[in-house]
This record gives sequence, C-alpha cells and structure tokens, in this order.
Amino acid sequence: MALKALDIYKILPKKNCKECGFPTCLAFAMKIASGKADPATCPYLDEETRQKLGAATRPPIRLVRIGVGPRKVVVGEETVLFRHDKTFYHPPGLMVEIPDTWSPGQVKVVAAQIENEMFTRVGQDLFLSGVAIRNVSGAADTFQKTVAAIEEMVSLPEILISDHPEVLEAGLIECGTYRPLLCAATDANYTSFCRLATKFGCPLTVRAGSVEGLANLTTKCVQEGVEDLVMDPAATTPREFLALSTQIRKAAIERTVPAVGYPVYCDTTTYPDPDAACALGVLKYGSLIVTRPLEYSRKLAFLTLRQNIYTDPQKPIQMAPGLYPVNSPGRESPLLITVNFSLTYFTVLGYLEGAKIPCHLLVVDTEGLSVLTAVAAGKLNETLVRESLKKFGAEEAVSHRTLVLPGYAAPISGRVEEMTGWKVMVGPRDAADLPEFLEKEMG
Amino acid sequence: MTWSGEIDRVHIGATKQEGGTRSRVCTVGGAKNLPFLEGASEMPLIALEICDDTGSWSPIVLAYTGDVTRDAGEWAKKAEKEFGADLVRLHLTSTRKRGFSDVRGVRTTIEAVLQGTGLPLIIEGSNEPSVDSEVFSACGEAAAGERALLGTAEADRYRSVAAAAVAFGHGVIAQSPIDINLAKQLNILLHEIGMPHDRIVIDPFTGALGYGFEYSYSVMERIRTAALKGDTDLAMPMISAAADSLNIKEVREAPQEVRDETAVMWEFCAAFSAAVAGAEIVCVRHPRTLEKLKKGFAHLAGEG
Repeated sequence: MALKALDIYKILPKKNCKECGFPTCLAFAMKIASGKADPATCPYLDEETRQKLGAATRPPIRLVRIGVGPRKVVVGEETVLFRHDKTFYHPPGLMVEIPDTWSPGQVKVVAAQIENEMFTRVGQDLFLSGVAIRNVSGAADTFQKTVAAIEEMVSLPEILISDHPEVLEAGLIECGTYRPLLCAATDANYTSFCRLATKFGCPLTVRAGSVEGLANLTTKCVQEGVEDLVMDPAATTPREFLALSTQIRKAAIERTVPAVGYPVYCDTTTYPDPDAACALGVLKYGSLIVTRPLEYSRKLAFLTLRQNIYTDPQKPIQMAPGLYPVNSPGRESPLLITVNFSLTYFTVLGYLEGAKIPCHLLVVDTEGLSVLTAVAAGKLNETLVRESLKKFGAEEAVSHRTLVLPGYAAPISGRVEEMTGWKVMVGPRDAADLPEFLEKEMG
Repeated sequence: MTWSGEIDRVHIGATKQEGGTRSRVCTVGGAKNLPFLEGASEMPLIALEICDDTGSWSPIVLAYTGDVTRDAGEWAKKAEKEFGADLVRLHLTSTRKRGFSDVRGVRTTIEAVLQGTGLPLIIEGSNEPSVDSEVFSACGEAAAGERALLGTAEADRYRSVAAAAVAFGHGVIAQSPIDINLAKQLNILLHEIGMPHDRIVIDPFTGALGYGFEYSYSVMERIRTAALKGDTDLAMPMISAAADSLNIKEVREAPQEVRDETAVMWEFCAAFSAAVAGAEIVCVRHPRTLEKLKKGFAHLAGEG
C-alpha cells in the first residue's frame, strides 16, 4: 500500500540535516509521499528502509517508452480508475498492424499514411501512433525484410510481434536501437525474450491470461533484469478484456498486486468485432492498442475518442481569444460574443458555419469557462466585453454598433450596453437556435 | 468490485395483458456493478430515433432510410422489422414550428406509430413552454395504457410532462445539463410531485464525440458509481443520445464517399462509450449504427 507522509516521516532519521535539499525531514517526507522526491537522496537511510520507501513511493504503474524521437509513445503512470477522479495522463498508442506477408508496395503505402496523415482538432494534431509488425510468414528473413523496408521509410515507434526469439532478433538487427516493443513473452519462453530485451535495451510485452499469471511473469522478468514491461492479458473476448483490464488497473493503483503495475496491451485484431474492441481499449485502460489499418472514418473517430477521454477534466481546452471571421463577413455583418471554452466556441462555430451566415465572432477570455459558469463567477462582465472589443479591433471591423451576447449572459446585458455604448441584443441560450435567431432578428 | 447499491428497474411498454398493445416490454436497470462486469445488468437497449417533421433531420439518415421517413408509422415499422431496434423514440418535431397549434396531428402521429410497431415507445414532446401543457397531455393520452417513456423533463420545465406521465401511467426522461447534482435535484423534484423512482430514466445530456462527449462520459460514470455506492436518488437507469452527432463538422464535411461511414462511426463511438459508462438505453438515428452497436454489445455482454 502507498505510504502517507506521516508514515514516511516515522521511519526517516529525523535529523533535519537538510542534506536531501529540503528544510526538514517532514518536508522531505511530504515530497516523497507525493512522488516528488527520491528517498535515495537521504544519506542516512539503511538499505532496508530505502527499499521499503522505494517500493511504496514509485508510481503505481510504470512509465514505458516505445520508440525514439518526437513520435515516441509514452504510456503508464496512470493513477486512477475513472478520469473524473483526476485525469488519464498518457493516451494509448494506436499501433497499426503490418503483417510481413504484405507486398513491399502495400507496406509502403500504409506506413507512409501512418507517418503523414494528421487531423487537427481543437488546436491539437492527432496522429496514429506507430506500427505493429507481425511475423505471419514464419520466416525470420521475411520478417527482417519487412522491418528493414519500414525502417527505411519512416521513423515510427514499432512493436515486433512473433513467438520466436530468433525471428525477433532478425528484426532487431534492423531496428534494435530504436526501442521497439517486443511481443510477447510467455511463461514458457520468457528467459530468451528477456535476453533479447536486455541485449537491445527494449521494452518487453508479457502474455498471461490472469492477474496472477501476469504478476508471476513480470516478477520473473524483473529478476532477469527487464523492468520496462507491458502486459497482454490475452483476453479472447472484449468482455474478458474489460474484466481483466479493470482488475489490473485496480490492483495496480491500490498496490494490492504491485507486480501488475505496468501498461496494458490490447490486440483488437484477435476479436470478431475490432471496432468495439478498439473503442473499449481506449476507454478502459488499454495503453497499446494494435489495430488493422483504419480508413478515414474509423481513424478520425478513434483519434477523437482518444482525445476526448484523455483530456484533463480540470483543464478544459481553450481557444485563443480574438475576433474571428465566420463565412467571410463584411462590415455590416453581425457581431457575436462567445467565450474561449473551446467546446463552446466550436459548437457555436459549427452552427454558424452550417447555416452559412456571415458574421464576426468575438471570443473573450473567460479562462476556459463556459458562458453560464463565467457569468456566475463574474469573469464574463462588462469590463471584459469592453476591453475585448477594443483590443481585438471590433470597432474597426464592423460599421455598426450592435453586439449579440449569449443567452446565458442576459444578466449582464444592461451593464454591457452602458459601459460599451453598443446596442446589446441577447441571443439564444442554445447555439442550435442561433441560425434562426440571426435570420429573424438581424436578417 | 462490490457495491452496496442497485439500479432501479424501469419497465417500458405494456402488453395486452397489462392493458396496452405492445408486443413486448423492455426492462432496464437492475445493475449491481459497472457495465459489462460480473453482476451487471443485461444488454443495453438501442432506440432508433424517428420524427414527424424531417425539416431538421440529418439528410444522411433521410437518404439512407428512404421514403418511409415521410410517414412516422411506416418509419417505426421499418425500425422494428428491418432495422431491429429495441425501442422507437419518436421526436414530435412538428411541434417546434413557429406558431404550432396542430395538437390533433400529434395524436394522429402517435396513433400511427403505435399501429406501425409493436415496440415500446419513447415520445419526445414539445420544447416550447407555451405549448408544453397541451402537447404533453395529448402525448400522454394518445399513448394511454402503453407505458411509454415521455420526454423531456428539465429543471425549469418538468411539470407538464410529469403531469401527463402521472395521469396516464407513463415513465419520464429527466434531463440535466451534464451535472450530477442537478440530475439528483431533478429526480427529487419529480419524486415530490408524484413520480415513483421506478418510472424515471436519467438523461445526463450527451455531447457529440469531439464536442463535449468526455464531459457526458464522465458524468455518467459519476452518476453510476454514486448510485452503486448507495445514493438512491441517482439509482435510475440512464438514457443517452448524442443527438448532435450527425450535424457536426467532421460528419457534414466528410468526403462524399465516406460520409455515411463517418456518420455511423460518430454515432457508434458515442453510443458504445455511453453504454460502457453506464447508459442502459442508447439512441441513434442511422440504421447502420444500430446494427453495428448490436454486434458490439453482444460481444461485450458475452453473447457472441
């Protein structure tokens, strides 16, 4: 179980020597408890205490890096079962399967797509994460050729999938220095897989069908010197995956089974309904998700789902405040005000674009609060409106002096009119009613 | 995981023996665990949404579904016979026209839908306070005895719909704006004016994928875990409809050849995830989403 600051304090030397860099032993204990200090920096701890503290204060799920460079996949270090309890930190890698039986042309096309195709949503660039090269041919040299062809073209994180160490080693000759994830060691062959992982410094996937089985196997691998591990619960149905991944997450974060404190692997290609499996992997604790190549619709939907689920609930994505033209407005076009909570902005924008109504959208800085909460908190007020009109050049952009406030900002409409001298109209509460409102009132 | 609470069971639809004309009754609720884990309730149900005025309906759905969309009764029939829906959710969009007064038309539509399908019904009445009372009482009366689910009650306008539900023996959908406390408050209000707990279904409001869906997902998880921990004011089944899915930019502006598929994936991801978060009823508009969800739920429920 995790130790609290006071429990840690009790076993510290209590000398307040400051040699750890903190003013007192209690301050040091608090930093250790929150994972921000390393117990090893105390020079007066005996070996036993140091180990005890180390085990209790390291992150409950190990951080594992796959690949190198800007596109590397970093997973693990999750701390909660539900995103509303804090947040989910590291989005799962969506890894596209490339069998080594494909023609070089096919390999090329798919690998290039994964590397280059990008969607931009809410100001973030969304990509698929990497490739999962699977040894279907059974031949080591075929596998090696496929890995080499991919290496030559792209610099994406890779998973190398084979049950045979000699096949993996052939692939590692091509990409061993780029931290590919090896997949997968079982109870029967883990020593040879561990040898490979150690030789090339690669992370390793272990496969077992139960929490106990996985805990045994990770413990054995750690004894062999391999600590960067990923676990494949080898579920045969999505239902089984959900049950196992939930048990694993719970056991890891509550530290009841510390040996399963590693990211989880989810191979959707083994399920009869890969789409459901992929969505489930994203929602329920999958950290590396292997999928068949995804065409446009699936790719966009799953990347968006991943973005949604891994958004920090306490830090809403914000839009840059400013004056935005919608549907090429003229100087006579209406001026609408909204807030910089990205969701509000994109919803309003969606309806305006859909209705093809030219207008100016003035996005004011409410620090990411929605209209309703910004009005309640006093952040959306007449001063902000006046300053934003000036700062973003609204007076020059339009020839009229009428602005439309969101429906939920009705309580401040009088004060805005007084302070800005603009005529204020109160728009609808629901963005869906904007097109009708604009047609009726301004048309 | 073990929990102390249990979700109330709500029945929708009444057969001949129970005084209605439905060919089956849908029962939702009864969960004692998070969805699809041991002790969870049965398969989530899928409602196909239809309407009586297609002016604001997604052209993608209208094109795919075909001519029956001009007749709510025929549309409902197809939802059952061809698309395999568990429920039909009728949106009385005709009531949203400016100057609406055709209450008799509303009755006729509901009667036609009841004729067209034997499935239990969800009926969405007006969203204009000035006609609420008339419209909801017409809905309640036209479906009297059928134990439908009437929508939608909100904190500032729940009396008309609840009154119709109480008077004619229907259940009610209680919608709150992605907020667990407001969801609870509305359930208490409805209870106080005579709605029993086992006739309330919570609609925590579902934003479209990429447009606030994460808030809805988390509020559903919060409502469900609170209920399982023993909060009886939140221990009702949930309904989720990411109704904006087909109007958002990614779907509207998808290349022509993949627009249908994008629409289906967008509805699928939200509805599937909502079920994983705890929704017992998910609502979709594209018939192909329905088919895809059925398959997905079957695998999750361990039936395939």
